[in-house]
Amino acid sequence: MARKSQAGSLTLRYAVLFAWALFCVVPIIWFLTIGLRPRTEIILPRPLYLPTFTLDAWNMIWTSWPMGAYLRNSLAAILGSVIIDLLLAIPAAYSLARYKYRFREDIGFYILSTRMMAPAVVAIPIFFLFKTLGLLDSIWALMLIYAAMNLSLVTWIVRSYMLDIPPEIEDAARTDGASDLRILVSIVIPMCLPGIITAAVIAVIFAINEFLFTLLIASTQNAYTLSVALANFTGGSDGVIYNAISMVAFLAFVPVLVLVFAIQKHLSRGLTMGAVKG
Amino acid sequence: MADAITLNSGRAAQVARSPLKRRRSPLQRKAFPYLLVAPAVIYLLGITFYPGIYAIYQSLFRIKFNSWTYIGLDNYTKLIGDHEFWASLWNTFLMGSGALLLEFVIALTLAALAYRDPWIRSWRILFLLPMLFMPSAVSFIWKLAFNDGRVVSDLLMRIGMIGRPLDFLGDVWLARLSLIITDVWQWTPFLFIIFVAALQGQDAEIEEAARLDGARWPQIFWNVSLPMMRPIIAVALVLRGIDIVTMFTSIFIIIVLTAGGATETMSYFIYRTGFKRFDFGYASAASVLLLVLTVVIAQSFVKRFFRSVRE
Repeated sequence: MARKSQAGSLTLRYAVLFAWALFCVVPIIWFLTIGLRPRTEIILPRPLYLPTFTLDAWNMIWTSWPMGAYLRNSLAAILGSVIIDLLLAIPAAYSLARYKYRFREDIGFYILSTRMMAPAVVAIPIFFLFKTLGLLDSIWALMLIYAAMNLSLVTWIVRSYMLDIPPEIEDAARTDGASDLRILVSIVIPMCLPGIITAAVIAVIFAINEFLFTLLIASTQNAYTLSVALANFTGGSDGVIYNAISMVAFLAFVPVLVLVFAIQKHLSRGLTMGAVKG
Repeated sequence: MADAITLNSGRAAQVARSPLKRRRSPLQRKAFPYLLVAPAVIYLLGITFYPGIYAIYQSLFRIKFNSWTYIGLDNYTKLIGDHEFWASLWNTFLMGSGALLLEFVIALTLAALAYRDPWIRSWRILFLLPMLFMPSAVSFIWKLAFNDGRVVSDLLMRIGMIGRPLDFLGDVWLARLSLIITDVWQWTPFLFIIFVAALQGQDAEIEEAARLDGARWPQIFWNVSLPMMRPIIAVALVLRGIDIVTMFTSIFIIIVLTAGGATETMSYFIYRTGFKRFDFGYASAASVLLLVLTVVIAQSFVKRFFRSVRE
């Protein structure tokens, strides 16, 4: 009797998990087929489930749009922002993880609380700020804003990994006469490299996803990123050009998938800014 | 499992400063940790504090192109009487809590079912996939499925649930539902990944002991595993909750101003007021109110929950 109900619950368990897996995967596969079909087979009175396949959209995104510029903008803004983040966050994280001083806790929570700031709150002032600085429609502005957006999580993730390093190692180096800065660079940073990489990957993903600020700052191909360029794949009377959108979506999806695979074990810890050790 | 989130964790406090110090003045030594943290803090102040002050200042003016007229608190009194603003606030709450509740229940159920499963690694990867697409791309996927491509209507008609196609974006409730489903599809994995990690991090022996005592699986999960992961649930919900409150991309892409204020969030209201109607003073007033709201949330939840995640 007990065995039977266990087998029953096992079936139910797999039924639920399998159903959710289908819900996750089917729209993705379907959207991939959208990218591989001609435009005339996408928006119809009744949807078509067995389309003809073509690489039209793939060729179109490279010929009809400045994809090279979009890719270059995304890459430059994102990498630049991650470098800024690491330069600012690693010393800050070390300070929060290793020293005791007044206001340390307040400073730490101030940094954390910037993660909770709604982008829309600062969108208008930031728009005017960059307008004054002459940085509208420039990837430098995007770089600065992505860096600001991710700084809190990079700091907290790196800090969490630094706390895992036994302080005795640093003390030994200190006894040997190494300076604090030297200890940070040649002992602490190499030892918490997984944390730094995790933080960088998560920052990259959030930067790729960023939409609101990019929408406000970018107005031409000087600064359009993949995320916002998508919203412009609407050809006037032609409506939304879905097959091109699909191709661009997968173009951004593949590198993200690779990056996430690389940090898979650290993903939950990174997403919670260090709160969960996966 | 989850420790070390508090800034006062034991280990940091233990750092015994070695007696052999390099020669540096006491002032320098005291200043060093501040110097390390200062660049990050200054950067963040510049990008949060300055804009905050600027928004408050700007909200006191009526701005028409380049002419600023000081009008005191008029923008705020107008905002209080603006039903579109209240609609956006109500809608932020409605869609936010709906999506968050669904995501939470689904993620927790899936995590509970999967975390001791031998195939957990495969489930994790499969469930993770939607999260790896850009939100703008995900919005287009669902816009096509619900509206432009009529796929959802067609499928529902084929299984006989509805007689004729539904106008997903024409009806306020269906539009809200579309936005919620879009959010649930993309972001349930966020909670799932965290919950699985939290459950896997728990001591299996406690569960085993409960099982030997004759407790059945649902009881064990409800009475043993779940209470242990409460702090992590709180952290995960705060992080997700904040992102849901600031929902923007999907509304920008999916809705395109069809149903007026009824399906916008506060973020979208601010964007529309500022960058479509160019009423920057008024939009700033709304920003300040949203700022107050998020600061209240951040202050009341974040500190407490993040600090509570410890052994």
